[in-house]
This record gives sequence, C-alpha cells and structure tokens, in this order.
Amino acid sequence: MKRLWIACLSLLLLAPAFAAAPLPSDSIYQLGVKLTDQQGHSWPLSERRGRVQLVTMFYTSCTMVCPMTVDTMKLTRKAIDEPARDKLDLLAVSFDPARDSVEALRRYADKRQLDAPHWTLARGDSQDVRALSALLGLQYRQLPDGDYNHSTELILLDPDGRIIARTSIIGRLDPTFVEAVRKALATG
Amino acid sequence: MGTFVMRWAWLIVGLGAAAPSLAANYVPLPGGSFASVIAADNKTAPAQIAPFRLRTEPVTNAEFLAFVTAHPEWRRDRVASVFADGQYLSHWASPDTLGADALPRQPVTRVSWFAAQAFCQSEQARLPTWYEWEFAAAADAHRPDARGDPAWRDRILSWYTRPSNTALPLVGGDPDVHGVRDLNGLIWEWVDDFNALLVSGDNRDQDGADKLRFCGAGAANLREKENYATLMRVAMLSALKAADTTNNMGFRCARPK
Amino acid sequence: MKLLTTILSFGCVLALAACSGKPAGDAATPAAAGQTQASASQASTTPGDFGPPQGEPIHAVLGVPPNVPPPINRNYPAKVIVDLEVIEKDMEISEGVTYTYWTFGGTTPGSFIRVRQGDTVEFHLKNSPTSKMPHNIDLHGVTGPGGGAASSFTAPGHESQFTFKALNPGIFVYHCATAPVGMHIGNGMYGLILIEPPEGLPKVDHEYYIMQGDFYTTGKYREKGHQPFDMDKAIDEHPTYVLFNGHEGSLTGDNALTAKVGESVRLFVGNGGPNLVSSFHVIGAIFDKVYYEGGKHAQENVQTTLIPAGGAMMAEFHVRVPGSYVLVDHSIFRAFNKGALGILKVDGPENKAIYSGKEVDAVYLGDRAEPNLQAVAVAAQAHATGTLSKDEQIAAGKQLFTGTCSVCHQANGEGLEGVFPPLAKSDFLAKLSKEDLIGIPLHGHTGKITVNGKDYDSVMPPMGQLTDDEVANILTFVLNSWGNPGGQISKEEVAKVRAAGPPAPAAGH
Repeated sequence: MKRLWIACLSLLLLAPAFAAAPLPSDSIYQLGVKLTDQQGHSWPLSERRGRVQLVTMFYTSCTMVCPMTVDTMKLTRKAIDEPARDKLDLLAVSFDPARDSVEALRRYADKRQLDAPHWTLARGDSQDVRALSALLGLQYRQLPDGDYNHSTELILLDPDGRIIARTSIIGRLDPTFVEAVRKALATG
Repeated sequence: MGTFVMRWAWLIVGLGAAAPSLAANYVPLPGGSFASVIAADNKTAPAQIAPFRLRTEPVTNAEFLAFVTAHPEWRRDRVASVFADGQYLSHWASPDTLGADALPRQPVTRVSWFAAQAFCQSEQARLPTWYEWEFAAAADAHRPDARGDPAWRDRILSWYTRPSNTALPLVGGDPDVHGVRDLNGLIWEWVDDFNALLVSGDNRDQDGADKLRFCGAGAANLREKENYATLMRVAMLSALKAADTTNNMGFRCARPK
Repeated sequence: MKLLTTILSFGCVLALAACSGKPAGDAATPAAAGQTQASASQASTTPGDFGPPQGEPIHAVLGVPPNVPPPINRNYPAKVIVDLEVIEKDMEISEGVTYTYWTFGGTTPGSFIRVRQGDTVEFHLKNSPTSKMPHNIDLHGVTGPGGGAASSFTAPGHESQFTFKALNPGIFVYHCATAPVGMHIGNGMYGLILIEPPEGLPKVDHEYYIMQGDFYTTGKYREKGHQPFDMDKAIDEHPTYVLFNGHEGSLTGDNALTAKVGESVRLFVGNGGPNLVSSFHVIGAIFDKVYYEGGKHAQENVQTTLIPAGGAMMAEFHVRVPGSYVLVDHSIFRAFNKGALGILKVDGPENKAIYSGKEVDAVYLGDRAEPNLQAVAVAAQAHATGTLSKDEQIAAGKQLFTGTCSVCHQANGEGLEGVFPPLAKSDFLAKLSKEDLIGIPLHGHTGKITVNGKDYDSVMPPMGQLTDDEVANILTFVLNSWGNPGGQISKEEVAKVRAAGPPAPAAGH
C-alpha cells in the first residue's frame, strides 16, 4: 500500500510546526502528496505554501502542447514587472512518472532553460499524480504508445494554496489571467 | 517542513478491530483484451486489462459509517471542502448517524471521489479503473460479455428512465457470472480515473474538431455510438469534479490480483 | 450557497482546455475563476452588438408553455440573468399513461426565454439534486462553439454559468446536447428563446408558445401504465406519440388556447424533434405572415409551414370567425393517431358573411372528459375478485369510451355523417354477431358499410392498445347506451376473438 495522500485536517492541526495558521478548508495543500523535483529533492506539496504559485501539469516527451504551455508560463512571468516577478513560483508536475525521472526532468529544465529557483519541475507516484490532477481539475489519460491525452490549463494559487484563477489560453498571454497574477502578487 | 504525509495512517485503520470493511468480499476477474466504448488509442485498439479483484457489492451506508467513525476527518462536519462538496453525506441524520433516509444496507451515495478513494485505501484497495469497471459491468448472469444482448442494454436503460424520486433499493441484487452484484441498475459508481475519460461536455464534437484541445489527439472517440447505455455512464462521470457528490453516485473498490 | 461557489471556482467544466488557435471569446472556454467573461471588446464592429450592458441586471421572466413572457419594451442593451433548472419528473403523456420527462424548468417544452438583441445574457443552468443524469444546454441563439453546450455540462445537484451576447434576432430552439443527444431531446429537453429586435415585435392581442416533439415508448400508443423510452423505435424514427407541448391534451379541452373574434394572434412554434419534421397547420385559419425558419423575412398568406426538427417559426394571423381551430401536424396520421392536436378556441359573434357553415372542431376532438378512470379501476378490481357487474362494466366502459372512441364517434355516439359512423341507435351494430362486434375494436374496420341508411367508407385502425377487459367494458357500454339493444361482453369472449386473430381480407363482407 503505497499511496496515502489524503491528509486529514485534524492531524494537520496537531502539527503546527510548519504552518502558523491552519490551512483553509479549500486549499489544495490539504492533499498530502509528496513530489520530487528536478534536483532530486522530495517535499510535500504543502511546502509550496507561503508564495503565489503558477501551476500546470505536463510531461517531458510531449511535443505538441506542452512546449507551448511552458512558453506561456515564461511569457506570463515576464509580463509581471520586477520586483513582483520574483515572488512568483512556477511549478510543472509531470503526468508521466514512469518516463519522467529526476534525471529526465533535470535534462528538460536545462534544455528549456527553466532556471531554479523560480522554476520547479516535479514528479510524484502515479496515484498521487491522479489525485493532484483531480484536485486541480485537469484531465489526462495514457495512450498505448506511451503518450498522453490531457487537458491544458495554467492555474494560479494564492499563498495558502487556493485556486484563484485559471486559463486555458495557451500560446499567447491571457490578459485577464495576467491581471489576476499581478493582483495576487500585490496582495500576497 | 510539511511533515504530515501519513503513509502509515492506514495501518492504524487496518488494526482497528471493528473495521467491517475487512469482511468485504472480493472476487477475481480475469481481465484481458476488452473492446471498451473508449478505444485505448482513440481509434480502435481494445483495452488491455490485467487480472484484478472487485468488491462484490457497492459500499453501503453502514460500511461508510464505520469508516467515518474510524476516520473522523471524513465526517461531513469535518471534511475539507476541497475534498467534498456541501451535499456530502447530507442525507444522513447526523455526521455519525444514518437515520431514516440512509438505511444500513442501502449503497452509500453523496460521496466524493476523494472520500471514495480514502475508503478504499482503508480496506487496502483502490477504486477500479474505468476499464475494469466497464469490463465487469459487461457481464450478465451467464456470460462475461453480454453487451450484444438487447436484454442487457434494456435493463440498464430501464434504470436510466426511472426517476430518482424514490428511495434507493438495498444492495444485494442477483450475482453475475463473476459473482458481482449491482453494477448496473442501482447507482452510478466512481472510478479511479474518472478524469481520464476526456469526453467533451458537448456530445457532438467527438472527432477531429477538437484536435488541438488536447495534447496529442482529439477528445476520446466513443466507439459503438449505439452503445449509448455505457455512453451515458461515461457522460455522467465526465460531468463530475472530484469533490462533487450526487444523490445517485456511490462506489465499490478493487484490488490488484 | 457558498460551497457551491467554491466548487464552481474550480472552474473546469470538463474537457475544455483549449490549446493555441482558439479565439479568446471561445464560448466554450470558462473564464478565470471569479471573473465574468464578456465579449464586449469588439462592440463597435460586430453587427447586433449595441455595446456593453447598461443599467441594473435584469432577471428574465420565464414563460410557462403555452404562455409567453411579456414584450421587452426596453430601448437599451441590458445584462439579463436567466435561471433555468433541469428537473427529471414523471408526468402523464396521455390519459393513464406516465412517462419520465427530462425538462428545462419542469415543463416540456421548457421555459420560454425572451431577451432583446444586444443583451448580454448571463445563463445559470441548474441541475436538480434529484436528477439522475448530467445535462447541458445548446441555445441556437448563441454565437459560439456548441451554443453553450460544453460550458453548461452540469452534474446533478450542481450549477453552471456562462455568458453570451444575443447578436441575432429571431426565434431559436434550445435543447440538451448531452450523450446520447437524441434520448435527452426525446425525453422532452427542448424549448424556445426569443431574441427580439431592438424595436420589438408588432403588438398583437395574444402570443402563444407551442412546440412539437416526437416520443418513443416501449408500449403502444395510449397503452396504460408507466412507459419507458424505447431507443430502438427512436433510432428507427417510429414514434409512439407526436405531441404539441409534450402531452396529449395539453392544448385541448380546458387547456385550449383562446382568443376573441377580431383579435390578432402570434404563435411561436418550435419543433424539438428529435426526428420528425412538422407540417404545421391550423385548420380553418390562414396565416397572415409566417416568419419561416424563425428568421427575418415573412411569407404571407400561408396555409401549412414546414418546421424542421431543431427549428422554429413565428406566425401571425387574425381570427375573424368564432369556433375551434385545430392545430395539427398535417402529416395527418400524427394528428389523429399519435396525438399532434391542439385547439385555438375563438369566442365572439358569428360572421356569416365570412363563414356560415357548420363548425368542424368536434370532428377532431369531441368533448373528451377530464381524465377520470376511477370506474375503470373499480371494474378491473371487481373482475379480479369475480364480482364484476354489468353496471360496473358500463361505468368503466363509458370512461374508456371518452378517452379512446369519442374522438371520432363523438361523446354522444352520433358520429359524424359521412365520415365516422354513428354508434347511437345503430342498425349496423344491432345485426352484428358478438364475434364480429368484438373484432372491430380489436382488428379495426376497413371498407364500405351502411349505417342507418348512410354510406361510410373509411378506415378505423385497430385499437390494439386496449386490453381484453377494456374492450369488453367499452362494448358493454355501447350496447347499453343511446337506444342500442343491450347485452354484455365478457373479457373471456374478447380474449377468444383476439386469440383467433384478424379475419382473412375476403371473409369480411
């Protein structure tokens, strides 16, 4: 039995060391999944708490939409003026844990110049990925040839992990979404 | 930071002597190559299903009550709103009492996907995948795949055309050839990969037009369009988000072989 | 409902993620959570776009069929909020026959929506918690992919919202487009939305809302009890019922449309389908104008107009002579054998200069009583216990006669001279053997006969939907009514004739 990602609120309250205030009930950080990043570090999803996150899901061998998704995240970040820009974290979680090893994520980050610290590429085990996609409202399905069908959206989380905006406009900037990012950074 | 991932949590549950889920009955199903309504490659490829075991009955109110008693974080008054909507278990008399509208042997409904997953984990199981569920539901009393028989389809359709304004029957319908009960004609059931069906909310644009919407291919092409009985179940599942609950949506669990 | 809002803020109507190349105003793309998407940015260049909404948002008044909400009478574009709830419910499709309808607003057809061209419509589709199925809505008046269908895919107990600008004036069908679409439409999920031109429509005295639909039940026409949907018949396009406003009798008797002599009437008529095309006609009226296909142009002096499945039209006419005008699908077997009938009842002084003949509405409907099958139930029970009396049979037969036979033979048994033979004081009936008498309702009757000195040469279809005891009760009622010779027919005698099968064609006369 390897997948126990459901975190419970009550136990969360018993573990106050890492969070000053209890998590809001509608925070995706209620989900107790563990992710591993391109540098091989493992951490619970809730470790993202405290900063505004721009989140998407992808996989490195995707040739069609995913590169555009990554570009759109870059564009969105660039559309935010300094110094607010540095308060924005970019997180892309892979649908494809079988092929997207830490090494694969690292290679992809290097090739696409997705620089730490603001960029995080991450993987989790397959059940955790399914739960995270369900929570984010994304869909995906593996095809026999190893590729995936998946929906593509950029999702904006406030510092407490609440979804505050999302866009399915990929390949260019969605002004409404950029405005939401700007606003979140101003208040976050 | 963030040390609250409880990989050990289910052990505590598993040791709970009162957990009725341990009594749940699972039977083996062979799986194999299966002509699903959702082609594996969106064209014609059959699904390949590994042998698995399936709970013979949907989870009942009594079983789910035992679960929330052992895991109070899943009580309706304590569950995090990301995991279950406002109607979660709302037909129960109180957060820890069933009452007149939720009989012990009725299938539990108004449960979210997250709650269903958590329950299945508590009995060392998981939700079945769509292909596993569809494979199992293709059976009738005599055949593992009765889908070519109009009687099989009619039985499902007669359930669809019955409005849900009367109380749900109790679990315990006649067993099929595998010994599984109530797959069709009692409730909707969650599947593990409910968000893998990729069916457009608009029934009519199922080929070509949406190629760009999804990486790599169009939305899932539904095979055998005349097999609308199954198609309606796909439509129902794809209408839901993981925290949603409805009056007729319950679940059962599965295990690897 | 705070929780509901939370759920919705997760956004993601499923299967919607757009990649590149989709226009920003894609109606199927939900906006970022908590923000309303309005396509006002190109106001000046889009015909029918009169700019951003002005004034306070308006909650649309919805029309319950056959009624239409009042005219808009507004000279600016507004934001109009439409709340529509999907409800699955059992209702009578015909006397003693129930069917599970899936409805927009609790009725078939669904609530009538009325907005003004240029309005920004904020649409809330709610799916009742008691529903079993997910549903959505495709409005033919929406400019955008799917007409809103993908944006409104809604699970039971949930709500979806999308916004569109009503760019094109006209009368448009809306319907559910969830898989399988034909079944959702076949169960009654359609309605009309009127997008008024800015200047409004010419004033008339009455506006009515009618929609035709075909229904497919496993049982035969008027077979009693609850009748499930029959997918095979639907695929074969063999409807059991073809109906106006979803129910037999929804526009007849006390439910007839009304007007007074000299008044003007506007009918908004749609066709939900799912399969049939309607040849819509009002017997005894000529439409002054028909805005065919729901569009801008009107044809004048129209007798019968074609309404495609998934289409609608608007007709205007004056009623100049009192009487009952019968609305039919002039594919006429649908009217008399599948239920596609309605009545427009016009009161007022006669105008013999225009029309001086005998009224003909009774041909089609007679005075069908309200559904009351109490006596039928009593008789069935008495038969089961072996205590059925002749009086009970007569009482039951009378009610069954009203539902099944009086349409042609009239409630008083007089028939209609030259068309439908009389049953009252009928010399033809008096000389029939019991077997031949029973054979008529069971097998129908074709060919020339002479009744009370008049010749008749028409077709009576078999009333195969009637059970043995219903036939026995009807015949016993007829034999003991209107000066007929009396007698009694038993269920067993009917069963015997039924088992023997129809007579060979030559054996009749």
